[in-house]
Amino acid sequence: MPQPKEIFVKTDRCVGCMSCMLACAVEHSQSKTLFGAIAEARAPKSRLYVEWAAPDRKIPLVCRQCEDAPCMHACISGAITRNEDNIVVTNADKCIGCWTCVMVCPYGVIGRNMDTGKAYRCDRCPDREIPACVSACPTGALIYETVPEYSKSIRKQASQEFARAEGE
Amino acid sequence: MDRNATQYLIVGGSAAGMAAAHTIRSHDPMAPVTVLTDETDKPYFRPMIPFVVSGKKKSQDMAMEGCGPYVGKDIFVKTDSRVVSVDTDSHRVFLENNQVFNYGKILFATGSRPFIPPDIKGTESNGVFALRTLAHARKMNARAAQTQHAVLLGGGLLNLKAAFALLERGIKVTLVVYSPQVLSQLMDAEDAVLIRNALDDAGLEIRTGTAAVEIESDNSGVRGIVLDDHTKISCQMVCIGKGVRPNVEFLENSKIKLEKGIVADIHTACSQSDTFAAGDVAVTHDPVSGKPVMTALWTNAVEMGRCAGLNMAGLPTAYAGTFGILNATQIANMPFVSMGLVHTKDLDCEIFRSGGQGSFRKMVFSSDGRHLIGMVLIGDISNAGLYRHVIQGKKLVEKFKHHIIGHNLHWGHFIK
Ligand SMILES: Cc1cc2nc3c(=O)[nH]c(=O)nc-3n(C[C@H](O)[C@H](O)[C@H](O)COP(=O)(O)OP(=O)(O)OC[C@H]3O[C@@H](n4cnc5c(N)ncnc54)[C@H](O)[C@@H]3O)c2cc1C
Ligand code: SF4
Ligand code: SF4
Repeated sequence: MPQPKEIFVKTDRCVGCMSCMLACAVEHSQSKTLFGAIAEARAPKSRLYVEWAAPDRKIPLVCRQCEDAPCMHACISGAITRNEDNIVVTNADKCIGCWTCVMVCPYGVIGRNMDTGKAYRCDRCPDREIPACVSACPTGALIYETVPEYSKSIRKQASQEFARAEGE
Repeated sequence: MDRNATQYLIVGGSAAGMAAAHTIRSHDPMAPVTVLTDETDKPYFRPMIPFVVSGKKKSQDMAMEGCGPYVGKDIFVKTDSRVVSVDTDSHRVFLENNQVFNYGKILFATGSRPFIPPDIKGTESNGVFALRTLAHARKMNARAAQTQHAVLLGGGLLNLKAAFALLERGIKVTLVVYSPQVLSQLMDAEDAVLIRNALDDAGLEIRTGTAAVEIESDNSGVRGIVLDDHTKISCQMVCIGKGVRPNVEFLENSKIKLEKGIVADIHTACSQSDTFAAGDVAVTHDPVSGKPVMTALWTNAVEMGRCAGLNMAGLPTAYAGTFGILNATQIANMPFVSMGLVHTKDLDCEIFRSGGQGSFRKMVFSSDGRHLIGMVLIGDISNAGLYRHVIQGKKLVEKFKHHIIGHNLHWGHFIK
C-alpha cells in the first residue's frame, strides 16, 4: 500500500478566512472555476469546515482518514471504500443517502447533499497533486504530508482530545 | 455423506458473518474460511432490498463482494447450505443437504427473521410478505404488479421503507399501527410529530391504535384484511413488520447457551470452546443501561462481526457493546437519527427539546445532568456521530453541555 499523505491542521495558524472552503467548493464544482461555480444551479459544497470555538479560535475540520474508518464499515450499501491510494472515498453512485455514515463519523465531516440525496466527503482532490484547500490556505495552517504514525494514532488522539476537554 | 473441513466456519453470510470473514482473512491470509448460508443469493446488503421492491435497483446492485470493506480474497461462500445441528464436542456441523463440516472455530451469525403474530389469521396466504431477504423482495416486486392497495402491519422503520417502495410504484398504501404513533420503537409519540406530518404529506394513510385480526384471500391471493374494530380494507398485498426473532433453532439440541438469542461474552465467545456469536442473533450488553440486549442493526452486526473475527483469529478483543437503538435514515425527505435512551416517559433524566420549521431535537441527559444518554434529531442531523461518541464513551459533558443543548457541538471544541 502506498503511504497515504495526510492533511494536517495547525490550528494556531488559522485566521478563519475560509479560503480553504471556497477552494474546496470550487474544486468540486462542475466548472472548477470560481465564477462558473457561483453560477451553477446546485451550489457546490465544501468538504471541509472551518468551525469557531470560544474565545476566538478557528478550526478547520476535514476527514481524518481513520485507520479503522468507522464510516466505511457502517455503510449499509458498500459505497465507502479505500481506493488504490489507500484513501477512504464515498462512491456517490452507490450511496443511498441513509446517513448512517454521518451517524458514526465522530468528526462530523461527512456532508449531506439534500438535492441529490447523497453523502459527500473529502476525496483528497484526485485530480490534483496537492489538495485545493492546502494550496489555497494563505497562512500555512493546512499541511499535506506523509506521516507514518499519524493515522495510527487517530483513535488515541480522539480520546485524548476529549480527555483534555473534560478535565480542563 | 460429504465431509468437509475448514479452519474457520461461519454460519450465516450477512453483515456479521461477512464482516468476520473479512476480518479473519486480513489477519490470517492463508487459513480456509468457509461461510454457509441458507439463502440462494450470495451475500448482499440487506438494508438495500426495498429498492428491489420499488424496482429502482436490481438484485446484483446490492451484492456485497468487492464493495466497501468486503474486498478480502478466497472466502468460500456456500449458498443453499442450511445448518440443522451442531456438535460442539466433535467440532462438527450437519447440513440439511446431508453434508458435514468439521471446523476449528465456528461463528454463529444466523441473524433474525420476521416475527409473524400467531393471532392473525391467514398469514400464509399468497401476497402476504414479511420483508427480510432478497428472495422476498423479488416476490414482493412481482406481486406489486397486480396490487392497487397494500396494507402494512406495523409502524417501524422496515415498514416505512417498504411503504415508500410501494408508493413509488403508484400503489396506495395503508399503514396499520397498534401503537399511538409510528416509529414507537425509536421515539416517543410526541417526538415523532414532524415525521408523522411528512408521512401524511407523502400520501401514506396511517391508522393508529388498531390491529389486524384476519387476512382474507381467494385463489388469486390476498383480497382484504379485517381489523380489530371490524373494519375491512380490501387489498391485494399485506406486509408484516412486527419485529424480528433470532434464528437459534438449529442450536436447540446443542450445548450452546441460549437466552432467546445466543449468549455471547465480552469477547463474543459462546458457552462452548471455539464457538462465537455476532449480529442480530447474539445477546450482548448495552453500554448505557448495562442490560442484556439483542439488536437488529446492520452497523452493530458489522462491528460485532469484526470483533468476533479478531477473537477467532487469535487477537483477543473486547466488544464495546452497543445501544439497542442506533438508527439513521431518511423517510419522506426527512433525515433523522435516534440513538441511546430515547423513551423518556418513565426515565429519571434531564430532557431538552427544541423544534423549529422542519427540524426537531431532543437531548436526553442522565438525572445528574453529567452525561448525555440519548438523542433524537430530526431534520438537522449534523454532527450526529460526535454525539454518538459522547454517549458511547460516557463522556462528562459539563464543559460543553450548552453546545449539545444548542446542537452546535463540533470537534473543534476539543482541539487545543
Ligand atoms: C429491509 C430492511 C432494511 C433494514 N435497514 C436497516 C438500516 O437502515 N440500518 C440498520 O442498522 N439495520 C437495518 N436493517 C437490519 C439489518 O439488516 C440487520 O440487523 C442485519 O442484517 C443483521 O445482520 P446479521 O449478519 O446479524 O444477520 P442477517 O442479516 O439476518 O443474516 C443471517 C443470515 O444467516 C442465514 N441463516 C440463518 N439460519 C441459518 C442456518 N441454520 N444455516 C445457514 N444459514 C442460516 C440467514 O438466511 C441470513 O442469510 C434492515 C433490515 C431489513 C430487512
Ligand atoms: S469516520 Fe469520519 S474522519 Fe474517519 S474516515 Fe470516516 S469520514 Fe473520515
Ligand atoms: S449515506 Fe451513503 S455513504 Fe453514507 S452510509 Fe448511507 S449509503 Fe453509505
